[in-house]
Amino acid sequence: MNSAQIIIQIIVALVAVACAIPGTFLVLRKMSLISDAISHSILLGIVIGFFIVKDTSSPLLIVLAALTGVITVMLVEFIQKTGLVKEDTAIGLVFPALFSIGVILIAKNANDVHLDIDSVMVGDLSFAPFDPLLINCTEGIADSCINLGPKAIWVIGTILLITLVLLFLFFKELKVSTFDAGLAAALGFSPIIMHYGLMTVSSITIVGAFDAVGPILVVALMIAPAATAYLFTKDLKKMLLLSCFFGVFAAISGYWLAHMLDASISGSMTTVLAVLFLLVYEPIITSIVVSFIAGTSIIFHQYLGKTTDGLEHLLLWQKLKAIFSQFTFLDYVYIFGITAILTTFLIYILPKRGVIFGYYKVRQQKTEIMLLVFLLHIRNHTEESERHVKHLNEHINWQRIRSKSIVELAQKNNMITITDQIISLTAKGEDFTEKAIDYIITNKDTEIEGMKDDFFLFRG
Amino acid sequence: MDIQEYISLVFEDYTLRTITLGTAILGAICGMLGSFAVLRKQSLLGDAISHAALPGIAIAFLIMGAKDNNTLLIGALISGLIGTFWIRGITKNTHLKSDTALGLTLSLFFGFGMLLLTFIQKQPNASQAGLDKYLFGQAATLLEKDVWLMAIVAGVCLVILLLFWKEFKILLFDADYTKTLGFNTTFIDILITTFIVITIVLGLQTVGVVLMSAMLLAPAAAARQWTNSLGIMVILAAIFGAFSGVVGTGISASQSNLPTGPVIVLVAASIVLFSFIFSPNRGLLFREIRFRKNRNNIKMQKTLAFMYGIAKNHENISHPHMINILNGFQGFSKKSLQELVDLNYVKIKGKKWSMTQQGFETAANLYDQQIRNTHE
Repeated sequence: MNSAQIIIQIIVALVAVACAIPGTFLVLRKMSLISDAISHSILLGIVIGFFIVKDTSSPLLIVLAALTGVITVMLVEFIQKTGLVKEDTAIGLVFPALFSIGVILIAKNANDVHLDIDSVMVGDLSFAPFDPLLINCTEGIADSCINLGPKAIWVIGTILLITLVLLFLFFKELKVSTFDAGLAAALGFSPIIMHYGLMTVSSITIVGAFDAVGPILVVALMIAPAATAYLFTKDLKKMLLLSCFFGVFAAISGYWLAHMLDASISGSMTTVLAVLFLLVYEPIITSIVVSFIAGTSIIFHQYLGKTTDGLEHLLLWQKLKAIFSQFTFLDYVYIFGITAILTTFLIYILPKRGVIFGYYKVRQQKTEIMLLVFLLHIRNHTEESERHVKHLNEHINWQRIRSKSIVELAQKNNMITITDQIISLTAKGEDFTEKAIDYIITNKDTEIEGMKDDFFLFRG
Repeated sequence: MDIQEYISLVFEDYTLRTITLGTAILGAICGMLGSFAVLRKQSLLGDAISHAALPGIAIAFLIMGAKDNNTLLIGALISGLIGTFWIRGITKNTHLKSDTALGLTLSLFFGFGMLLLTFIQKQPNASQAGLDKYLFGQAATLLEKDVWLMAIVAGVCLVILLLFWKEFKILLFDADYTKTLGFNTTFIDILITTFIVITIVLGLQTVGVVLMSAMLLAPAAAARQWTNSLGIMVILAAIFGAFSGVVGTGISASQSNLPTGPVIVLVAASIVLFSFIFSPNRGLLFREIRFRKNRNNIKMQKTLAFMYGIAKNHENISHPHMINILNGFQGFSKKSLQELVDLNYVKIKGKKWSMTQQGFETAANLYDQQIRNTHE
């Protein structure tokens, strides 16, 4: 690791933290897409600023760009307030229009402007370490400046510092206005000031991170860590910390991924974020896929080291074919082993929120509800015809297999007894339904608090 | 260049004709399908899908190794569809809201696409130049076969729309009711979403990833202002879309260095702005006029009621009173008094006013009438 690499990693880590904090609040306030809108429309601010000062490094550009961001939010809100269209339509109308004006301005003055849309849109970190902040320059004398280190660190560091100070000062207010705007207003904190404060901070952060990672990946850095953290926890403080952690993790491992693949840093950062989100969202499948890719690439890498010559001119898939053809049986065994171990490890550390687990949980809850309905039905009817085993099929409208399994389940738990195909509740069953009805009528959690242990199914 | 000259040029010049036709057809389909997206509150779906298509394009290029347009489009279509299902899955299976799901899909897919694009740029086969036209779109690269493809898609889309019109309409306004009627809502939903994705993918080449969402939204949002009927809205949106395509192409062709996509979007945005302000029922201008009119009306009625309160205490209702006793009253203004005179409710002689019989009766029934109106 040389010093340039360390500096780039510091920059991306700072950007990640600076984005994750406002991003968390945007996700909680259901305004994630505002960040997308801001990140596009600040192009106009940058272009206008550039026309005024003719210098890409002027702080005026940042100020104007941030201002455009806030104006975007105000325009969206103004359109939304007229009630002519919904909020999402308002967002979708405002930012492409502002962005178009920016693109047209660049294109019209392409000859005398050194602004390239491509580089503006993607962002480039490779030269960030070599763009130092110089102060105390004396006109005409070379090397008279004091070098304060890379400029990007100063810019994003300042933004992060301001964000952190504001976060600590207004944490309580932000929290209240995020979750209950009405209560915040009643307590005397203006939700509007909080809203615009947050918008201004987001706007400035997006502008600051813009150079480093480009507009769309700023959105990724704002939303993805927060969304991933939101799947883990519902505690605001934990969520903030987790999303900062995910952001920094993705930033640094993304840097190394980019280093390995020789691709864009921002792109690989987002890819790591995507994998992180998928690991939490669909743990089992993603774990298997990720472990398999990791295993294959480890073996692949060993072969690649041996046979680099003669492959440069081939297409990617031809290259892959050439290398895979050299694999021996033992290699596949290795891949399988690595995949198995990694998958087990990943699934072990992940929370049980995946799709498969979710499906299982839904099935279980369905059974619980059916059992409850069944028991209540039995309790409500004294006449024998209603309590006949076969009658259940038509009356509660269940399929035969399902009703049979429910009856068996209830019988296993000593809730019912069956004599001559007639079902009757046992004392335990009576007690159970009694409490369940209390709960349904009052709808208070306290009613079943003592009963949670009795709910054999809720306990699993 | 005047307009006539330009129009004749459109018919003669191959490139210009292709681009104009292409953008017009694209605008029309976008308008038609965009209406559904807007009404279903999926306005930003277009934004997310157009970004999500990028990795598909890159992977298609990586696998096929050639820049065949149709292959890339199929790649874009597949990854766009995956993105759509991702959005649906996330909102359905987790407590994340749809905006977060959209933002996630948009940025994560796009980031992955950027990774692949930069990776491709390092590959030895250098024919990748031009892949980035999908980012901003280049209408100039439209070929006649692209236009044909668009026309075919537009035709199929129209047929499907007519065949399933009833289903689309009912799903749009009452999804639960649709389900109870026995329609397969998932199928209809997937059908319309697929068409939206196809349209977005087709438009990528012309207006690019970033501006595609506006193409989908703007004509529909403008059309919404003029009508409350779905059929008329879809037709209007198609017309607006085609119009902005043609006019945008015209403007960008008439000047040098003017990219087509952004100009089309700006034309569409101006149509939206015009509709917001000038549409007769919902527009801001007429709404303000109606508001003022109502306010004046209320002022006049308040004055009349106040006068009635004074007049009914006198035996002769047309007993003259001084005007300045009205001065302290809130509803009173010179204008409202003049209106009362015009309606023949009040007569003015010098500095005095007196009520007419007609005015007295109207005032007596003023609130009865309002009660009756609200009850009816």
